[in-house]
Amino acid sequence: MTAGAPPYRADVLAIDDTPENLQLLSQLLTDRHYKVRSVTKGRTALRAAQAAPPDLILLDINMPEMGGYEVCERLKADDITREIPVIFISALGETLDKVRAFEVGGVDFVTKPFQVEEVMARIETHLQLRRLRQQLQAQNVRLQQEIRDRKRAQETFTKAFRSSPSPIAITTLEGGRFLEVNASFLALSGYTRPEVIGFRLDELALGLDMNRYHQGRAQLEQAGVLHNWELELCTKAGERRTVLLSVESIELEGQPCALTIANDITERKRLENEFISLVSHELKTPMNSMIGALDLLGTGQLGTLTAKGQQMIAMAINNAERLVRLVNDILDLERMKSGHLTLHPQDCGLSELFEQAVTVMQPMAQEADISLIVEPVVVTLHVDGDRIQQLLTNLLSNAIKFSSPGSTIWLSAQIQSPSIPDRVLLPTTLHPPPSTLSASPPALHITVRDQGRGIPPEKLDLVFDRFQQVDASDARAKGGTGLGLSICRQIVQQHQGQIWAARAPGGGSIFHVLLPLTTEITDVIDEVVHD
Amino acid sequence: MTKCILIVDDEADVREVTKLGLEMSTDWQILTATSGADAIEIAAQAHLDAILLDMMMPDMDGRATLKQLKTDQTQAIPVILVTAKAHPSNQQDFDSLDVAAVLAKPFRPLKLAAKISRILGWE
Repeated sequence: MTAGAPPYRADVLAIDDTPENLQLLSQLLTDRHYKVRSVTKGRTALRAAQAAPPDLILLDINMPEMGGYEVCERLKADDITREIPVIFISALGETLDKVRAFEVGGVDFVTKPFQVEEVMARIETHLQLRRLRQQLQAQNVRLQQEIRDRKRAQETFTKAFRSSPSPIAITTLEGGRFLEVNASFLALSGYTRPEVIGFRLDELALGLDMNRYHQGRAQLEQAGVLHNWELELCTKAGERRTVLLSVESIELEGQPCALTIANDITERKRLENEFISLVSHELKTPMNSMIGALDLLGTGQLGTLTAKGQQMIAMAINNAERLVRLVNDILDLERMKSGHLTLHPQDCGLSELFEQAVTVMQPMAQEADISLIVEPVVVTLHVDGDRIQQLLTNLLSNAIKFSSPGSTIWLSAQIQSPSIPDRVLLPTTLHPPPSTLSASPPALHITVRDQGRGIPPEKLDLVFDRFQQVDASDARAKGGTGLGLSICRQIVQQHQGQIWAARAPGGGSIFHVLLPLTTEITDVIDEVVHD
Repeated sequence: MTKCILIVDDEADVREVTKLGLEMSTDWQILTATSGADAIEIAAQAHLDAILLDMMMPDMDGRATLKQLKTDQTQAIPVILVTAKAHPSNQQDFDSLDVAAVLAKPFRPLKLAAKISRILGWE
């Protein structure tokens, strides 16, 4: 079919050895806007059909030389003309072999004399059928092409998935069931395909930290994506590997799933840890000799020093010790961030933790002429005591550094039960509002409040970042490393808690720490409360 | 009877400062060793009351030296491990070791003697 609408309805080739008949047919069709080519001989008809295939052929059966059946057979034998519908015409009284007509490939027949409207209807019907068939064929060709294209695309993506050097897994979000994994994933985990597909994450002995897993899942559900998420997993052979995950939530057949791409960073981590421990050693060893030498000089036993000389030695020792604190803080933070420092949770009494922290900080507070007031509650926490100790001393030392002489610092605790609305317990200046808390399990709420000059509102979020100080010159004057609060945040996060800073009513700062209490501990609390 | 202490450290400066610090604050006899192998040899001959053993040393590190010391007739000598890696927060890493204590570097040499006496109950 040519582009654009042709000036006629269809191209019809009429073949009849009787010119009168042809004349009549031709006239009828032309009147109805068909283009008609009339021929009287079978051979001429074949040539005409081959030269310019018509849309339809009207073919007389009884013709000298070459009869209608033979013409039709030849048309059907030729690729160019095969698809052209042929309607036989036979005169009334002539022997019409209907079966033969269909056998040789005719689609219909009409008998003379015509019922004009009937002939036209049949012609139109067959033209319509032919058009539909052509459309169908074209559509078929298009579909086949599309299938080929899609297959190619699918093959490309399948190959990208299967041969990806990065391990990839698709799991259901609910239950974490493996739907698909690639060869790299199997190589990493050591499992075979049948051992993985259809199983849940917790059914394989992957040794995942389920707390961290649920944390990540919650984050994924919230943000839809998770980047550079570090996780340790255990291979089938029992080897521990560290992987860096990027997870995207996707939907497969209406089911929410997680597409996870992993990167094995075990070797990198090992080098990192080696580096940390090397730096630790290489920085601290010379400082050991330095502080030691200064210390010995300071005794005066190696030669008498002037008062100024003593002062200089004290200054050198002070600064060397500050350098040691900085190195310790950096290493601590690195170890915590890299997950190298694992928690060793034990049952600890909060009062004892408070007491120890205050004992450590009391000399510093006294020197700065600051009173420490401790208001603990009776509760047992399942935490890493050393870490909580570090958290409390860091918060207290921070508060002391930024308090003026004669002021007071309060270290307090309250149990926050889920039935009590947050607002009642938390100050109204709460920042940021922990929106997720209302549905949280019972928690211990620790606060450290000072009467210092407070943190500007725009810096409240920043104070937990590394080397973020409200005023950098302050820190130097106070001997801080700028890492204390970062370490606090790491410790609290390791304990699945929350930490934030706020402006205390009436000036000063208030640092809030929320530590989750486990259910067993809640029972203890209840007893205490009811006693 | 005066105590005899062996300081094992591959760093000459650390050995010297530690030795001097202990000598200035006590009447102890202080010996030094520059390596694990050196330490094992001295420990077998001298009558030591305690060994201050550095953790990170080339060839034979503190761990290996400790293991050797604890298998010989020297096993009764209390060992105090000294390490730059120890930080109050990761004391647990050393829990499994058969040592009297783990001291973090850097330490104050003048306060060291009191610390050692406290650890070993010499007060």
